[in-house]
Amino acid sequence: MDKIKQFILPKPITLGNGKVVQPKMSPAIYVVPILAFITIYSVNLTKFKLETLFRRGYQFFVILDGMIPPNFAYFDKVWAPLVATIMMSVIGTLVGSILALPAAYLSSENMMKSKFVKFITKAFFSVVRTFPILVLALLFRIIFGIGAFAGTMAIGVFTFTIMTKMFYELIDTADMGPFEAIMSSGASRIQAFWSAIMPQLWGQYYSLILYNFEMNIRNAAVLGYVGAGGIGIILNERLGWRLYPDVGLILLVMMVTVYLIETLSRTIRKNLL
Amino acid sequence: MIQFQNVVKTYPNGVKALKGINLEVQQGEFVAIIGLSGAGKSTLLRSINQMHTITEGKLLVNGVDVSTLKGKSLRRFRRDIGMVFQSFNLVKRTSVIKNVLAARVADMPLWMSLLGLYTKKDKIIALEALDQVGILEKAYTRADQLSGGQQQRVALARCVAQQPKIILADEPVASLDPVTSNQVMNDFVKINKELNITVIANMHHVDIALKFANRVIGIKEGLIVFDGPSSKVNNQILKEIYGRELSDDELMEH
Repeated sequence: MDKIKQFILPKPITLGNGKVVQPKMSPAIYVVPILAFITIYSVNLTKFKLETLFRRGYQFFVILDGMIPPNFAYFDKVWAPLVATIMMSVIGTLVGSILALPAAYLSSENMMKSKFVKFITKAFFSVVRTFPILVLALLFRIIFGIGAFAGTMAIGVFTFTIMTKMFYELIDTADMGPFEAIMSSGASRIQAFWSAIMPQLWGQYYSLILYNFEMNIRNAAVLGYVGAGGIGIILNERLGWRLYPDVGLILLVMMVTVYLIETLSRTIRKNLL
Repeated sequence: MIQFQNVVKTYPNGVKALKGINLEVQQGEFVAIIGLSGAGKSTLLRSINQMHTITEGKLLVNGVDVSTLKGKSLRRFRRDIGMVFQSFNLVKRTSVIKNVLAARVADMPLWMSLLGLYTKKDKIIALEALDQVGILEKAYTRADQLSGGQQQRVALARCVAQQPKIILADEPVASLDPVTSNQVMNDFVKINKELNITVIANMHHVDIALKFANRVIGIKEGLIVFDGPSSKVNNQILKEIYGRELSDDELMEH
């Protein structure tokens, strides 16, 4: 055992006055083998081959080449799904964010006194949060049928769970001084929350809504792939038919839209905080 | 009238903050409570409006036994007691007037307070309170734009807008400079005299306590060791309250 230790541990440093310092073992000793094992295992499991990457990789550029120039005449058909995508995100984000407010109140450490309620709400939301948005969309497509409504619901529920978590963390760290002051004036906890905690957080709340909206625009674009409405439907269709100039236009339109919305949202958020 | 009868407060961790307080404060008095940090000043103050519950004894406010109050009756009771804090406890991101109006929500139905529907009467009460402490012109300024003294005046105005019978002040000037401290204390005296509101203030600085309060209560280790007019406080008494002589710089110079 001592021999193994001697082999693994770095050499002790002896000072001029005879004192000996034992440097600590580097974590690389066990991190590197573990990472190597995981990598080899993953490559085997996913059948990852560099050879395929070199042999077929050029196809990407073939498709890219096919997209240029985009088919601008196709824009007439892109317009409606694009607006639908944006509207799905707007409604889903709004409804999810508004419902997240009371949910965050119920989950926050400092506002909610009942440990039981906190436990139930937090457990419920962490379970729902484990569903990726695509899974939610698949689920709602079965429940509500193919179309934008299923997508909107997926965005709404997804936003609701994420906003709840983000917002109760903000509530937890809010300044409790004003809350104590309003409580001492005879207000109820909800009234004190509303008039002492929320005024501290409105800016951050709006900012979170916009942040989620940005994220949801991108989410909404892929929801069409599972039949949940929006621009993803025609993207899937055109890719399937290998109409690359149309695909090029769809991607261009999406890029411009996402860029515009993110720029707008960032400008507003800068002024909110 | 506020009456403490053998009031004891033991915290859940076993700390005995109050060890049998007997005290009577008449309506309209200006009382300063002095003592070392941890002597029980804060606990005594907060037991009056039940922000801390007492464990033994009786505490009567205008004949009401406060330990029998809970829920709605406690909230109704608290409306008559305003509170001012060392750190002002304002919402700094919002306007002065909104901070003062927050004192009115306790009197409003929940749905009206959620929608922020303050009546014209509420707005006038709030603005008049600001006028009383001399910062009416700052009504629509954000609270974080104000100096410490101005912020404490806003907190006092919020308290006044609640139209209380009693004001509890927990170290109201401890984080202010001497000049500002005097101005803010003058506002307290003015409100005490003009509106006949009882003021009970925990004071960090002995000389300010003696200058502005009519009556001084000295607390040491959870017990009252002095209770009398401020004119009767001398070095011997201060030594008893603080356990040693106070140096000149502890008696803040002006």
